[in-house]
Amino acid sequence: MQLMSTIQSAKTAPALLKLSADNWRFAVLVGLVVSALAVVTLPASGSFWVVGAISALVAAAFAVNAYRRRYYGGLLVAPAIAVLFVMNIFPLLWSLGLSFFAYQSNLQSIRFVGLNNYIKVLTDEVAAPGNWNALINTAMFAVCTVSAQMIVGFLLAMLFAKQFPLRKYLLILVLTPMMLSVVASGVFFTYYYDPTFGILSYVINSVAGGQFIVMDSKAGAVAGIVFADAWMWSPFVMLLVLAGLVSVPKYLYEAAAIDRVSAWRRFWSITFPYIRGLLMLALLFRTIEAFKLADLVIVLTKGGNDTMTISYHLIRIANEQNKTSEGAAISYIILFIVIVLTNLYLYVANPKNREA
Amino acid sequence: MTLTREINRIVMAAGLAASLVLGATFAFAGEVTLTMAVPDWPPTRIMKKFFDEQYKPKSGNTVKLQVDFIPWPDFYTRVNASLTSGERKYNFIVSDSQWLGAFVEGGYFRKINDLLNADPEFMKTFKDIHPNALNSYSTYPHKSENYYGFPQFPDVLVNFARKDIICHEAEQKNFMAKFNQKLPCTGEELDAMTWDDFKNVGEFFRRKKGEMLAGKPAEDDFYGIAFQAGKSYDFSSMQINGFIWQMGGDIWDETQAPTSKAEGVVNSPAAVKALEKYLSLIAYMPPLAKTGTMDIFKSDELFRQGKVAMSVNWIGLAEASLDPKTSRVSDNLVFGMMPGTKGADGKLVRWSNIGGQPFVLTTWTTDAQIKEAVEFVKWWLSSNIQHQFAAAGGQSAIKSVYSDPKYVTYRPWNRAWAPSLDWQKDVWHVPQFFELLTQQQDQYDLAITGRQDAKTTQDNIAKFQQRLLKEVGLIK
Repeated sequence: MQLMSTIQSAKTAPALLKLSADNWRFAVLVGLVVSALAVVTLPASGSFWVVGAISALVAAAFAVNAYRRRYYGGLLVAPAIAVLFVMNIFPLLWSLGLSFFAYQSNLQSIRFVGLNNYIKVLTDEVAAPGNWNALINTAMFAVCTVSAQMIVGFLLAMLFAKQFPLRKYLLILVLTPMMLSVVASGVFFTYYYDPTFGILSYVINSVAGGQFIVMDSKAGAVAGIVFADAWMWSPFVMLLVLAGLVSVPKYLYEAAAIDRVSAWRRFWSITFPYIRGLLMLALLFRTIEAFKLADLVIVLTKGGNDTMTISYHLIRIANEQNKTSEGAAISYIILFIVIVLTNLYLYVANPKNREA
Repeated sequence: MTLTREINRIVMAAGLAASLVLGATFAFAGEVTLTMAVPDWPPTRIMKKFFDEQYKPKSGNTVKLQVDFIPWPDFYTRVNASLTSGERKYNFIVSDSQWLGAFVEGGYFRKINDLLNADPEFMKTFKDIHPNALNSYSTYPHKSENYYGFPQFPDVLVNFARKDIICHEAEQKNFMAKFNQKLPCTGEELDAMTWDDFKNVGEFFRRKKGEMLAGKPAEDDFYGIAFQAGKSYDFSSMQINGFIWQMGGDIWDETQAPTSKAEGVVNSPAAVKALEKYLSLIAYMPPLAKTGTMDIFKSDELFRQGKVAMSVNWIGLAEASLDPKTSRVSDNLVFGMMPGTKGADGKLVRWSNIGGQPFVLTTWTTDAQIKEAVEFVKWWLSSNIQHQFAAAGGQSAIKSVYSDPKYVTYRPWNRAWAPSLDWQKDVWHVPQFFELLTQQQDQYDLAITGRQDAKTTQDNIAKFQQRLLKEVGLIK
């Protein structure tokens, strides 16, 4: 009974407004109020240190609370959580906070503007057209590159699921583009597409006799980027699908053969259920990556011929033009879009959960 | 035990004495390190080489020049990141002239008027810099008497040409038959070229593989002309500005802020006509120009590969075209001034956008470093070193140096240097420089790739500039 009462008393949380070393709720409350006041009233460098000190205070309150309540497991993982907080969560929260300020990194000037950055990047007559155009281009690239990668990757996986001579060596060759740096691949493709030096133009010139310039129109430039991106990342899709294909038990195919099931039915009833999850995973990963498409565009077109993507546009705004907070606002809009898309994918991918 | 303690005391006392003596010695002849961010190319490599081989500080200190050579495509990004992150790594930065506004306003670049005023000899050298270079590389606000930079490598656009092609007898004869004028062949004839003449060269030298070119079947498709028409950084703007100024148009004039306007100036009929002229020449350039990726490095590469008869490019890139290891046309080169436009009086108008870079001091540089930095700059701008720099492939904006008769003998393009300096202007130096530039580059790309006409392009640029500059108070 005594032990039970000790445990019960140990688990009782301190009152919200009680000043004690282990009252993390109180620390969080004070931290939020002081941080908000510091951010609004102090210069950026001052508020940075105040918010830092408050974070340390909250962390200390958590630690003392855990120690007093004998949550030793929690204390043991605390260093890992601290690293995660410093390296990941804090920058994320910091950049989110920054998106509510007008901050230009080269001028080091900062003032609170609330949701104005979000409104500006979406509706302002000067800033918004470029952002919308880049967003629409990104959506177009996402559809084109992901479709191309899914189709090519799937077909390659179907091919490599079978045994044939030199399969092992060809597989290594097909996987190689994925391991190259994007810049190296991009530079390779600039020469590949070059109308003066490029092999593609040379071959078409020799066969058709006319001059061929791949990148001189938007359609050509988009096709050039999509081809290069698909060349690099179709092997990734292939790898995932191949993992699903080789996991299908052989006896299912043997039973289907005895029952003389058609190839199409065999695919839908046996193969597809095994690879559907992996296909969705590949689709998810590649869509998220497509929203970050910038490096290949920079190398191949510099965003020319109306191929500016939102990530490249973001680099220009946040890095070249030093409009850090506007850049942060755009980043969070992209993050929101990606989260919505991810949930949509998961909704489509899990019909069973939906039914439940 | 006592003996050990005594020995320890003696050793400690000796150590203290030695460190005091050594400390005094170091204080007397200290070591000063100047850290510099520079683009990685010959003009900065030559500077470092000269420093290592020749520089002896007058102070008696040991002065080290630690140079970060950064590739051109990453240069702005790296410098910008270093400055805005507050790492305070560099004492000296080779800055593009247009960056002055953004980084002076941010408090990174140090004003140098006090250093110049304190040293009349230094001021005398400084005032000997050509006024166009001085205004572009040093002043903020533009053309004011607030000075920030010293010329590291001044640059202008010149016309590179292949003698083996343009001076060939059969080509000369055919060109005369077609255009009823002589095909320019010497440096002086290149100097006299207008953009119409340049267009004729472009039209004349479009040859398919196998067609006759200078008495031989062409090994590959060949083109007459090339100039910068690239979307990234400032590549098309640097060329188009020249057309606009030469044909009587203008860009928004920051020296008249806040009374000057962008709308009505940037999209004036003269400016639209100038862009139309620029776009009309792209048809005669290598097909890469139609993709909007003809930057200065691509046009230089095409010229060195022997695919083009004439190319307008910066002097800073010319050295590689003389080197047989990097150029297939190294033996047959002639250089002239960039083409001009005939004015109402029949004389050539030659306005062009200045290239080149100043180096600037950063605001956190210590007094000891500033003292050594000033000595280094005085040494760099001294007549002897400037002559050596020009002889090694660089340029000098110091009047007494470039007007010396032997200056033109250093490199084949030097004869075009001094006359070009009088015709140099610069783009805006305001903190919003990159916003203005990137939007303008985007619009020019639409025009270059044939998806927008010149009028719409200039109208869009003017509208954007008017709105932005009004928002920041630079236009009323």
